[in-house]
Amino acid sequence: MLRRVPWVVWLFLLVPLAAEVFWVFWPALNSFSLSFTRWNGIGAAEPVGFGNYVDLWNDPVFRTALRNNVIWVIGFGGLSVLGGLILAVLLNRPGRGIGIYRSAIYLPMVFSLAVTGLFWRVMYSPAGLVNTTLGALGLESWERQWLADPDVALYAVLIAAVWRQVGYIMVLYLAGLKGVDPALEEAAAMDGANRRQRFFSIVMPQLKGVNAVVFAVTVIDSLRTFDIVWAMTRGGPYNSTQLLSTYMFEQGFTLVNLGYGSAIAVVIFALAIVFIISYLVRSIRQED
Amino acid sequence: MSTTSDYTRRGFLLGATALGTGGLLSACVGSGGGSGGETSGSGGGDASGDAAGPVTLQSSLSDPAPKAALELVIADYDGDVTLNTVAIEQFRAQLSTYLTSNTPPDVLTWYAGSVARDYAAEGLLLDVSDLWTGDGACAGFSEALKSLSTAEDGSQIFVPTNYYWWSIFYKKSAFAEWGVTIPETWDDFLALCETLKGLGVNPLANGIGSTPWMASGWFDYLNLRINGAAYHRELLAGEHAFTDPEVEAVLTEYAKLIPYFDPNMASYSHQEAVTPMIQNSAAMYLVGAFVTQFFPEDQQDDIDFFSVPPINPDVPSAEEAPTDGYFASANTANVEGTKALLSYLASAEAQQQFISESASSNLPTSPDVDSSGFSPLVQKGIELLENTEEITQFFNRDSSDALQSTADDALTRFLADPSDIPGILAGWQAAAERVWAQ
Repeated sequence: MLRRVPWVVWLFLLVPLAAEVFWVFWPALNSFSLSFTRWNGIGAAEPVGFGNYVDLWNDPVFRTALRNNVIWVIGFGGLSVLGGLILAVLLNRPGRGIGIYRSAIYLPMVFSLAVTGLFWRVMYSPAGLVNTTLGALGLESWERQWLADPDVALYAVLIAAVWRQVGYIMVLYLAGLKGVDPALEEAAAMDGANRRQRFFSIVMPQLKGVNAVVFAVTVIDSLRTFDIVWAMTRGGPYNSTQLLSTYMFEQGFTLVNLGYGSAIAVVIFALAIVFIISYLVRSIRQED
Repeated sequence: MSTTSDYTRRGFLLGATALGTGGLLSACVGSGGGSGGETSGSGGGDASGDAAGPVTLQSSLSDPAPKAALELVIADYDGDVTLNTVAIEQFRAQLSTYLTSNTPPDVLTWYAGSVARDYAAEGLLLDVSDLWTGDGACAGFSEALKSLSTAEDGSQIFVPTNYYWWSIFYKKSAFAEWGVTIPETWDDFLALCETLKGLGVNPLANGIGSTPWMASGWFDYLNLRINGAAYHRELLAGEHAFTDPEVEAVLTEYAKLIPYFDPNMASYSHQEAVTPMIQNSAAMYLVGAFVTQFFPEDQQDDIDFFSVPPINPDVPSAEEAPTDGYFASANTANVEGTKALLSYLASAEAQQQFISESASSNLPTSPDVDSSGFSPLVQKGIELLENTEEITQFFNRDSSDALQSTADDALTRFLADPSDIPGILAGWQAAAERVWAQ
């Protein structure tokens, strides 16, 4: 097979490969070796072995960030997938104005996360829309300084992020639902299956391919979440909304602890790889 | 070729692939102050050794008014200067890369104090002592500024060009309306807060949301008033512990102020905190003089300030006066041209032009600047700093940005719940020790 590919093609493939190796893999590997050093960007890096990783484990902010990241993956992933799927099923029917609904729900995806963050910051501000709405409904006791209260700040940011992501997941599922054979569902209905049974036993299995895409997209998106948290809280109040990515940015680029920041980056990388590989292995096994 | 563009890695890669030549690449990186440790990070690659050769000025003044002001100042300079303006966050992150590269920018904007001293200790800054002697451009500057610009080895490595003061700002018309006067003593001040609160006004404005470093303003001042400037500097240099009874006394005093702060301060930035003052729902604000630019035009003449009243009569008077200016890279290829530019920037005319064009309340460092045209507020600021015994910078400038982040965490935590001061101080000390160990 391979011999039939003309050598010119290999030559053309080599160019992007060289660029990729030099500009992506080489810096990535550098980041690994940096994580075993202490370096402020001046002079030579001082090797410290696993010192940075030991420090990470004893660093209360890192543990907060790790815990927040778990909450984030579950909350952000779960809510956006659930919301996106429900919306897709509800809007997967012909009807008047259905296109307007779909576009309206997809619209937030058009804005950058930084813009989304600013927009929600205004909503959450002490005299903003959220608090005034609660006040108008007679729920004054629910009013909060949403982004300044460490008990709710992370969830307040999470809702803003889900608000944006849900339209994207909806579009992915809508595309998947278009590929579902309606004849199968009709046949099941003839056999007396109710809506619930039809959805879980007939439709969902056919969405397997889309599910794999949605899972990968969601895990990657939730691990790399950075801009919306940075735009809304910068990890505050007192580090209570810090994610691994924001803490890495703060350590690596604001404080220029390049070794320590690289160690956090390696942890993020390891987590992403573990998630993705374990999922891929499982889905490949199922296909066999 | 003044650019503030922010290259993302992806955008950068795309550009890199498209252009595909090393020469063009490094030119891109230089002008954008872009990414990558291997690239030179300098636009001054073609700088030659002769005095008339070109000089690069790397500037972090990316706010519109100061940026335009510096461009005007540079336009009036005779020599060949390339001004690169970089967004301040990026400048901070890249500063060590700039200074360590083989062809560094010749002159850079930054802060006086421990940050400059740290770079000088690494041998990265140009010795500019000859500007401070004889008829040098800085020779007439005050002794306080000279010691601030002096490295550990006794040489001068910094050229201060302007500074500003911290104080408690208020509006004269609002105080008249409420029938209150400025306090003379600390007890008066607390009583004033109580009176204002009784009137339904938030006595103290602050914005510690996206700018948590604002919480350090009161910490610095209470430490200066209770333990004195010497202790404050030593504490920030790591010679004392945050668990000391001295620091606990500061937080105990700070806790007395908490009921008087704007309850929304945790949601505001330092700029948003001004809005309640404009609307007369908050009364006083301990902040730097840069705050005046946030007030509307018609309230500018209404703004006044008073110094934080003394608490412990045994400590010398002290004020915070963060100083901005320039230093030069030790690796500059054009020492003569660099010093000529520094001398120009330090000159009275350049300082005056910069301050008036940038519409700030900053003070000139040169005694030769004609200050008669400055507003009464600025005149009062000059007088305040001339009559104080000690001058400090600000928490981060007297220590480091890393220590500032430990203060942000500890102090915002404390302001949210002051019930466990020893616990907060223990956590602060542990975080500070990690910073000092770096």
